[in-house]
Amino acid sequence: MAQQDFSKKKALLIEDMAEARIMQRKMLTDFGFTSIDIAMKAETAIELLKNKSFDVILSDYNLGNGKDGQQLLEEVRHSKLIPNTATYLMVTAETSIEMVMGAIEYQPDGYITKPFSQAGLQRRLSKLLETKERLYDVNVALDKGDYESAISSAKTVMEKHPSLTGKCERIIGESFLEIQEYNKALSLFNKTVKSRKMPWALFGKGKSYFLMGEFEKAEQSFRQLMLDNRFFVSAYDWLAKIQVAEGKLEEAQATLVEAIARSPKNILRQMELGKISLLLNDSITAEMSYRRAVFLAKYSCYNTAEVYLNHLESLARISDNGPLLPRQRDNFDSTLKKVHESFFEDPNNKAKAYSCEIDVFLADKDILTAKQIFEAWLSEVKGGAATAPTKQQSSTYAESFGI
Amino acid sequence: MKKIDISTILASAIHESKNQVGTLLYQLQSLKDSMVSKDVNQKKIVLIEESLKKLNDEWVEYLYLYRLASDGYDLHVDTFLLDEFLDDQVFALQPSANARSLELNYHCDAGLTGTFDERLMTAVVSTAVYNAFRFAKSKISINAKQENNFLIISIEDDGQGFKPIEEEPDEFLEGNTGLGLYFAELSASAHRTNDSQGYIKKESSLSLGGASLIVYLPQPSNEEH
Repeated sequence: MAQQDFSKKKALLIEDMAEARIMQRKMLTDFGFTSIDIAMKAETAIELLKNKSFDVILSDYNLGNGKDGQQLLEEVRHSKLIPNTATYLMVTAETSIEMVMGAIEYQPDGYITKPFSQAGLQRRLSKLLETKERLYDVNVALDKGDYESAISSAKTVMEKHPSLTGKCERIIGESFLEIQEYNKALSLFNKTVKSRKMPWALFGKGKSYFLMGEFEKAEQSFRQLMLDNRFFVSAYDWLAKIQVAEGKLEEAQATLVEAIARSPKNILRQMELGKISLLLNDSITAEMSYRRAVFLAKYSCYNTAEVYLNHLESLARISDNGPLLPRQRDNFDSTLKKVHESFFEDPNNKAKAYSCEIDVFLADKDILTAKQIFEAWLSEVKGGAATAPTKQQSSTYAESFGI
Repeated sequence: MKKIDISTILASAIHESKNQVGTLLYQLQSLKDSMVSKDVNQKKIVLIEESLKKLNDEWVEYLYLYRLASDGYDLHVDTFLLDEFLDDQVFALQPSANARSLELNYHCDAGLTGTFDERLMTAVVSTAVYNAFRFAKSKISINAKQENNFLIISIEDDGQGFKPIEEEPDEFLEGNTGLGLYFAELSASAHRTNDSQGYIKKESSLSLGGASLIVYLPQPSNEEH
């Protein structure tokens, strides 16, 4: 193993406990790092990552009350805030490691279990950086979205460094999926499943079958993963996708409820459950999921109008069956306030928020206020600031207002 | 009051203690860093550090043991290059071996790969090596090879070797309850393929003359369809 020169690398250290932070910072300084940024929580880390590029990210799994290290990783990889060329090392405790290893879709480049020595950390980082160097061309191609050249580079790396075969095969398989060469992806994943038992290969097999429209075979792969390890929660998400595609919404809902029981902090999963529950007219479950999504969206890169408007929608659907409870009403007002603060420029968002508000007031039999809101909406429509109500909305309201 | 499962309580108590050991290790590290290298206490500190590391590894073993025995452990198998895996184990245990003036090394083919649960096998190897520390005269060696769809990892030493079965009850008096072996056995048998299951064997080491703990882990076969 070549001795790494860390002096030109930029490091980001994310750790909420002061003692560990000081210790790890000292370790990194001792290895030769000269540029070390510090974040005490995920939200601060995201801000730093938006404004600066890093070569090494050392993040603890437990980050206090906010997002955990795995969520942070998923978010920054999903939104491409960190390039594939950067190294993400997760610091775990015995209790959290399963969550990290179970995340088959977004895995850190490596993990290290507490407590670790300076020599242990240096060795782990050196190895990971060496691997990153060998895969440099592959990762640059992936960052550019050039999957053909990622595949050919990965094949070259594999020949030169047989120990990286697993990593390269995974990249090749997933690149085939990206360029819709499903048959090629499937045969590669199949080969790996047979010769070397790798969870990602079985996962890739399921995804290939899903994308080819072979739902039954896809389901088999995902169910096998669920049996192998209950922490493979992504397998539940994909099973739910299959069930939605087959029109089995009730089953999809049950699958997602189970997934959320295992891993409740994934915002996309909460949104999906909310969406399916609304389709099933299960506004109670929908409201619960969207309420959690609203909570998780704060400081996240999924902080979109959709999350908040859907929460309002789910509460409006609850109000179809009678007035909201005081607690539900508070939730409605607080989410509405967030829409007003951040998303009220968009005419469609305005129209959606107004219609939910009218529904809630009508359920309260407060026709006067409902009418006032409707009038405010119409005047905004005149100025072009809001989308007009649909014909159906207009006629429903007219009837309710007794016009 | 509702009666609570005592083993669950013990497991969380162990977890708490393990975290405290981790904190102590960090504090010791900063103490070590603040000392001049020729300080006479340096050697004592290294000994304390090694004992704490061993304690930490033992707590980890007990936690896995609890979870294996209570069906709360999900095996996470992946494929590893043995050269790298064993190099990691020797790297982690080398300071302890040095502190005891024992030689620790590993042997395997450079290209040998194996499919297993890395965390469990790390705990099994370290448990076996710590055990070998107590008996070895000068040498401990870790070896790996593949035979008949089994990955075989052996931990060998040049001590007296395993005692005949009838003498074993005495080990309780020496403070060895055989927990380590039980743990190795549970860990090995948690590894299964369609038609076979992992197991352990206690033998004498052909190359070093002492004890040899051999772990057999079933491997997925290429012919499977």
